[in-house]
Amino acid sequence: MSRPQSIHVQWPDGASTLALRAVHHDGATLADQLAEAGRPLNTRCGRHGRCAGCTVELVAGRFLGRDGTEHAAPAEIKACQGRLAPGADTTIAVPARSLATHRPQVVTTFKVGVPAATEPLVPVVPGESDHGLAIDIGTTTVVVSLVDLRSGNIVREEASFNRQIELGDDVVTRIQLAGVPDKLDVLRDAIVGRTLAPLIAGVCAGAAIAPERLAGATVAGNTTMLHLLTGTDPTPMGVAPFCAAFLEHRQLTAANIGLSTPPPAMPVHLLPGISAYVGADLVAGCVCTGLNHCAEPSLLVDIGTNGEILLMHRGRLLATATAAGPAFEGGRLARGTRAVAGAVAHVRFDGEFPPALDLIPGANGIVGLCGSAYVDFLAQGRRISLLEPTGRISPSAWQTLPAVHRHHRDITRGVRLNAQNDATLVTEADVAHLLQAKAAIAAGIVTLLRRAGLAPADIRTLYLAGGFGLHLDVAHAIESGLLPGFRPEQIDVVGNTALGGAWLALIDRTVLPEMIAASTAAEVVELNLEPGFEDTFIDHLALP
Amino acid sequence: MTTLEQLSQAVAAGKSKDAKALTQRALDEGVKPGRLVDEALVPAMAAVGERFKNNEIFVPEMLVAARAMKEAMNLLEPRLLAAGITPKYTALIGTVQGDLHDIGKNLVAVMWRGANFRVVDLGTNVPPAKFVAAINEHRPQLIGLSALLTTTMPAMVETVRTIRASGCPAVKIMVGGAPISQQFAEEIGADGYASDAGSAVDRARELVGAI
Ligand code: B1M
Repeated sequence: MSRPQSIHVQWPDGASTLALRAVHHDGATLADQLAEAGRPLNTRCGRHGRCAGCTVELVAGRFLGRDGTEHAAPAEIKACQGRLAPGADTTIAVPARSLATHRPQVVTTFKVGVPAATEPLVPVVPGESDHGLAIDIGTTTVVVSLVDLRSGNIVREEASFNRQIELGDDVVTRIQLAGVPDKLDVLRDAIVGRTLAPLIAGVCAGAAIAPERLAGATVAGNTTMLHLLTGTDPTPMGVAPFCAAFLEHRQLTAANIGLSTPPPAMPVHLLPGISAYVGADLVAGCVCTGLNHCAEPSLLVDIGTNGEILLMHRGRLLATATAAGPAFEGGRLARGTRAVAGAVAHVRFDGEFPPALDLIPGANGIVGLCGSAYVDFLAQGRRISLLEPTGRISPSAWQTLPAVHRHHRDITRGVRLNAQNDATLVTEADVAHLLQAKAAIAAGIVTLLRRAGLAPADIRTLYLAGGFGLHLDVAHAIESGLLPGFRPEQIDVVGNTALGGAWLALIDRTVLPEMIAASTAAEVVELNLEPGFEDTFIDHLALP
Repeated sequence: MTTLEQLSQAVAAGKSKDAKALTQRALDEGVKPGRLVDEALVPAMAAVGERFKNNEIFVPEMLVAARAMKEAMNLLEPRLLAAGITPKYTALIGTVQGDLHDIGKNLVAVMWRGANFRVVDLGTNVPPAKFVAAINEHRPQLIGLSALLTTTMPAMVETVRTIRASGCPAVKIMVGGAPISQQFAEEIGADGYASDAGSAVDRARELVGAI
């Protein structure tokens, strides 16, 4: 075995020397080496070199790219795309936003729009078997709630990143990975063994409840997550016609899933879904908000890398999925980040430039901008005419900004929201990406409404679900055209209704049949087949 | 400003309604459709492509310009056909099997039309055999494959393989789409790759030997 490679690393919280396993022949990259050394980077595109998640600064030394290129310090390198050349004094600097170890801002709160009884889905023996788990498996974050089935109350909650993130950022990347031999097992272990197991142990320990007292669990999640949880091959969902292997409610056991903390026979209920891209998380939200009973036209919208939309109108439930891409999670944007400690969550232009910035607490300094801040910027940037309807930064408005706020590269412009801090830079290229994400969501909503002969003004309530929705400034979402043509009074921010629905289904056994009914009644609208979608998408690229 | 100059500007600025009205006006003024294409639309799309390459405009503005171009072409195409005017080069384009995304592919198609290619659009979810059949039917110099999903990249591999193995007339293959890279294009034996609709025009001209 060759000697380990010793490098110096400047972390956000100090410097250290790290011994990396020597790699020459097995194709391992710097990102792999750092992960093995216990400091995983944000390799969210699945180590394809497509995102900037694992970018580090080469301070001294040389970097050998997989494609045969060689980079000498100083350089910005993607750690998943090569390895450091052997040599003394090799030094890299890792910015906070490239670390995978940030704690996620998870939404465990949700609003319930319907009354519920405490009459659990699973048999309860007080004192022996009287607690349950409500679980929401998101592509990014996973939440486990421990529920006292005697009272129906949530007694403890734990959340973390879905460890599959290290293998791939979005669902399609994971679907593709699952097609590689053995990787389905790796993905399954990442969610079962490395994400759920510690969370379940954590809630039980935190509430001092012996795991033997667990009587049952309900699981909400998108269709891909439920496939990976059960080790089911999801690859047919990656290509048209996007067929899921299962969508129906399934009752399994802890042993079937591979969970060893709860009793092996503990029932685990997977909630039903509607299609490959409208999953059980939406069905759970539908029943949690009471959308399925709305007498007047109402919508449930969940915005993530994909946007899922349900419309209830005259007793019909229409469902669609639109694609936003990673922009609202900060992906592909110059200073974009997920909603992590140190991210700018909100930007407020109280009349003038520069704006006030609200940070998510918990870090020293600013690590970047998250989706809600970009939406603020789009809305208010347009309002003060810093942005043109096309999304370009107005040359004349830009000229009037103090020089420290101005950024330009070639002929494209940028704006530093905070003069001192380059982590607050927004460029015209960023805006162009954001506009595509915004247009895809907006066009999805408008196209679905048009199918039903409705306009935004006809909607009684738009339930805005999910973590992004909770952080959004609703007025700015409307003003930027993300929620086009709505009024703030129509929007009800409901939080993590996927978790809410899982909890309701667990404590009230009449809820699951309602979910099954809603999932089978829903009609799927394929946006690709809607004649007006492309035009609507292009129309909504502009800022109102 | 002449009507043709105004039309050229309206297309480049993405003003669809004006583009349509000005095309009609030019025709009413007796401008021949061929001249309208050569002197208004081709320069407009060339300018759009150039500005895109220079980062003066981005995808949203380009899509709007392409839509204006399409409005004008809708009026002109039947007349061009009737007048027997066909461009020198023919290109086929389609989204590979399993993928239904077509906005980017449509944009490339418009830019190619704007560069005076005859473009036959095979649509989305196109199986390899359909590409081969269309090559035999239309005898293009160039064929463009688009894929937007990482999961449909294998279908692109399969399509290139099938075309090469089919014994159909020799044709240059160009690939593109968000997950595609130069390296991938080389690996699968495509002749060219373009990262965007602007460079797709330059690459197309190179591949057919027009420059
Ligand atoms: C021949 O030579 C060439 C040369 C250059 C070529 C070329 C060919 N083809 C393209 N180019 C290049 O030139 C063009 C112009 O510069 C560029 O084309 P682009 O297409 O990149 O750019 C266009 C001009 C504008 N951009 C686009 O049209 C794509 C935008 C995004 C938002 C997008 C859209 C609009 C849609 N989508 Co979809 N969609 C996303 C996209 C995310 C994003 N922000 O990019 C993406 C591609 N989609 C995705 C997904 C997953 C999906 N989508 C789906 C559906 C849809 C809509 C129907 C909602 C709609 C498509 C409408 C249509 N008719 O095409 C689903 C099913 C798709 C299907 N049926 O095939 C679904 C599978 C799931 C879902 N979300 O519902 C993701 C793929 C992820 C991955 N890892 O592969 C995605 C990145 C969004 C995400 N969630 O992250 C270049 O790529």
